[in-house]
Amino acid sequence: MSRAYLELAKKSFQNNLVYRAEYLAGVLNAVVMIFVNISIWRAIYEEEGALEGVQFKMMATYVVLSFLLQTLYVMDEYFVEVKVRSGLISSDLLKPISFRLFVFSNTIGTMIFRLLLQLSPALLLSIVLFQMLPPFSVTMTLYFAISALLGFLVLYNLNFLVWISSFWFYWTFSLVTIKDAAVLIFSGALVPVWFMPDWLADFVEATPFASIYSTPIRIYLGMIPENEIVTGLLVQVLWVVILGLAGAVLWHRASRKLCVQGG
Amino acid sequence: MIKHTLWEKTALFFRYSHLNMKLVLEYKLNRSLITLAIFCREMISVVVMVLILLRFLHIRGWDLHELLFLYSFLFLSYSLFVFLFAGIRDFDGMVHSGEFDRLLTRPIGLMFQIISARIDFPATLGHGIVGVVLFLNTAFSVGIDWTWQNALYYILVILGGTMIQASIFLLSACFSFWTIKTENMRNLLFFNSRRIAGYPITFYPMLIQKLLIFVVPFSFVNYFPSQFFLRKDDFAPFWEGYLYLTPVVGIVLFFLVYLIWRKGVRSYTSTGNSMFG
Repeated sequence: MSRAYLELAKKSFQNNLVYRAEYLAGVLNAVVMIFVNISIWRAIYEEEGALEGVQFKMMATYVVLSFLLQTLYVMDEYFVEVKVRSGLISSDLLKPISFRLFVFSNTIGTMIFRLLLQLSPALLLSIVLFQMLPPFSVTMTLYFAISALLGFLVLYNLNFLVWISSFWFYWTFSLVTIKDAAVLIFSGALVPVWFMPDWLADFVEATPFASIYSTPIRIYLGMIPENEIVTGLLVQVLWVVILGLAGAVLWHRASRKLCVQGG
Repeated sequence: MIKHTLWEKTALFFRYSHLNMKLVLEYKLNRSLITLAIFCREMISVVVMVLILLRFLHIRGWDLHELLFLYSFLFLSYSLFVFLFAGIRDFDGMVHSGEFDRLLTRPIGLMFQIISARIDFPATLGHGIVGVVLFLNTAFSVGIDWTWQNALYYILVILGGTMIQASIFLLSACFSFWTIKTENMRNLLFFNSRRIAGYPITFYPMLIQKLLIFVVPFSFVNYFPSQFFLRKDDFAPFWEGYLYLTPVVGIVLFFLVYLIWRKGVRSYTSTGNSMFG
């Protein structure tokens, strides 16, 4: 049974291989964006050596990691919507597989494609071009990998809620775009949480957003004390579970509500 | 081709706009949500700028209001660009779907049809509102004396900036005539340049500065025009004349690209599959 999902993930991996121009654009885009943001932070740091105890090199590494994770975290936001609107979903539901796992396998396949073929070259380029700092230690690297994966799962489960809303709205461009904006701002992807005003930082820490980018990157940089890392990871797991359950409930309602217009 | 009077063309343009408006109002809720979404998306970089400046107060002598004033040019000119030239932006699609063939059979100028046949109201409003909000919040607090000369200069550089962006998109559209897909490349070049131009170009290495002046001339859309008003110290290494060149760059660039476009139209052969024929 799980073989079927493995095949689905493989299919999605191979689908990504077809679009070479998109692929190149993705790598180039990541490198350019890293470069631009590092230039801006360099200008900010010009007047002072360290801000809030964070040196420029750490900030540069933060930017690199954030954009690498952003490359990794790109998902096919309209996979479900297209199926709902075209009516293809009815044939997917007839198949003896779980639709939710089908969507998940598809996302994982794309993620592995990005990990191997987009992230790796971008990472190598970043090490050469931007002198990013190596991870704090070997154990931290491991923690970072786990945390980044959990961050991916938090984002996936959050996204799933938005995707399933297409059963009611049919067009989800607006919702997806607004969600993206919220994630980019609140998760610390563009401005680290420690530079935010206190009230905003408190808000961010209380939402799933901090689990997406902020936690893994701060672990990599050694900014979370070793005895607090496990707590950080558990918070991430908690958000995966909460959002996952919400997704299950919403999916249950959606599948009963489904209305296919011809197809 | 039949010659149309300016009056007829204007009337036709408003007729097209009327139809476009109907199209938008057909789905009021959806279009309003799209406008809101574009507004949120464009606000990301503004919010980031505000968050950074709340903490650091100024970067290389630029304070928050000056930086946001610099940014407002990008939004206002882009808003005007999608209002006037959405057809050029979506030209790739028009050729691939065969819609362009339909335009060829009509007895009025191609460029006129492309410009008037499509108006992207959600994008116009989404970018426009960000631009207006930024402008109103900064224009009267960065020490600009709004004499009529300054106001005229402002209008001219917004128009010039619109032409510059239209030229970049039109150049990319030209490649569709020779069935070369440039959409990815264009988006990469255009939107990254636009992001880079969000901050003063002097924040970047020399190579990027040169690129933004001579290759993808975004510095004329916002950096030089805002330096005309603000005169920050970092303008020193640049030539004084750059301050006044924006409208010239816009017109010359558009004219040159228009020549390529004319050549392209003449050598155009249809893909032969008019989907909406």
